Amino acid sequence: MSSEAAWVPVALSASIEPGTSAGAVVEGAELVVWRDAKGVAHVWEDRCPHRGMRMSFGFVRGDHIACLYHGWSYDTAGQCRHIPAHPDLDVPKTIKIATYAVEEAGGVIWTRLATAAQAADPLPTMGTNLPVRSLYADCSAAHALAILKQTLLPVGKGETCPGRLQVVTPHVWTLEAGALSLSIAVQLIGPQKIGLHILADEGAADLIPHLARWAQALRLALEEPVTVAEVA
Amino acid sequence: MSEITLYNHDLDENCYRVRLMLSFLGLAHEIVAIDMVPGHEEKGPAMRALNPLGSLPILKDGDLVLYGTQAILAHLARAHDAAGVWLPLEPAIFSRVMQWTFFSATALSCAIEARRVAVFGLGGDLETLKHEARQALRIMDDHMVLRHIEGFEWFAADTPTIADLSLLPSFALSRDYGIDHDEFPALRRWLRRFRILPGFRTMPGIPDYH
Ligand code: FES
Repeated sequence: MSSEAAWVPVALSASIEPGTSAGAVVEGAELVVWRDAKGVAHVWEDRCPHRGMRMSFGFVRGDHIACLYHGWSYDTAGQCRHIPAHPDLDVPKTIKIATYAVEEAGGVIWTRLATAAQAADPLPTMGTNLPVRSLYADCSAAHALAILKQTLLPVGKGETCPGRLQVVTPHVWTLEAGALSLSIAVQLIGPQKIGLHILADEGAADLIPHLARWAQALRLALEEPVTVAEVA
Repeated sequence: MSEITLYNHDLDENCYRVRLMLSFLGLAHEIVAIDMVPGHEEKGPAMRALNPLGSLPILKDGDLVLYGTQAILAHLARAHDAAGVWLPLEPAIFSRVMQWTFFSATALSCAIEARRVAVFGLGGDLETLKHEARQALRIMDDHMVLRHIEGFEWFAADTPTIADLSLLPSFALSRDYGIDHDEFPALRRWLRRFRILPGFRTMPGIPDYH
């Protein structure tokens, strides 16, 4: 379990385009990640106060996000502003969705599942990065670490090189091989489910397609049944 | 101009595939509503005379009677899309279009079946079907990750083809059978681009944003 004050990744910045929303789960908590038309990212509880519909099914209009069920519309503070069935109603201030702190750094959207009163960990430093992809796999973080310790990274010209894995924080891992440096923002979805948001350093532009294929193969390795001999 | 008739059920996603194609091509057509659920009208003798498989959709185009969703899409594109945009014939593109169009009829058949079980309450092992559908959607997402890196937004060409059209409903409707869109960022991106194509229309289960 990560501390509530920790910044946790929910998506690659590039995956949440302006005017769109998506769902993300962090340690069982359902979140909606959305970006308003001005480009600002928001992370909220994924639940409409009306009848509990997931807000990630909803749609963004300008700087509001509207619920799919009955169109209740919320401003960037999570405050309900408009109820289509009662267009003249001055919407009560109590109709509000829980919002979380959001920062974008290193090509990743980070959130902190804590109230403002709690002291925050510093934002992870990730440098400038090129997105490779988000990879979702059914395995634990510990298992992913064990597999990544043995991975061979593509370093160009069809060659591979063993990666050196470093756990910077529970949510930031790095893998280095030769001149290549990968950052992995780790989203703990559930005990046996993780999201790896993988980015490469700026010098690695030509390697991105190879790294995307490497990630695809990595998922197979991550989900391969663990044999008893390995466990022992 | 020949007369086109579609034997249709509004909640059937394969019928939706054909409705989408007709809409993109702007083709006038008649709709014959078939009581698929709960009536199983498509399995009755009158409909089996048109399609011995007893399934929908069925398309009549002049004297031609066709069944099989992908065959109908290919026919409409060849016969009514003069520019050849939806089914390009350049060999390198054509073969990719075929690969992904067949994928929608083979690997994705579990997704179509999963939705039938979930929405229409038909018998079937939903968990196994969902598992297989998720694997198929992952293959699609992996492909679109690479396509995006290469600078393309569509499955087989630099414009949408019947491959995109035949794959899309299984993803757009995946919440009907309990698979969320969270894990498929590249497919979300593709779905958004598909939704804004001129002529796009929704069906129940695919929200109409208004
Ligand atoms: S459930 Fe969200 S508006 Fe009704």
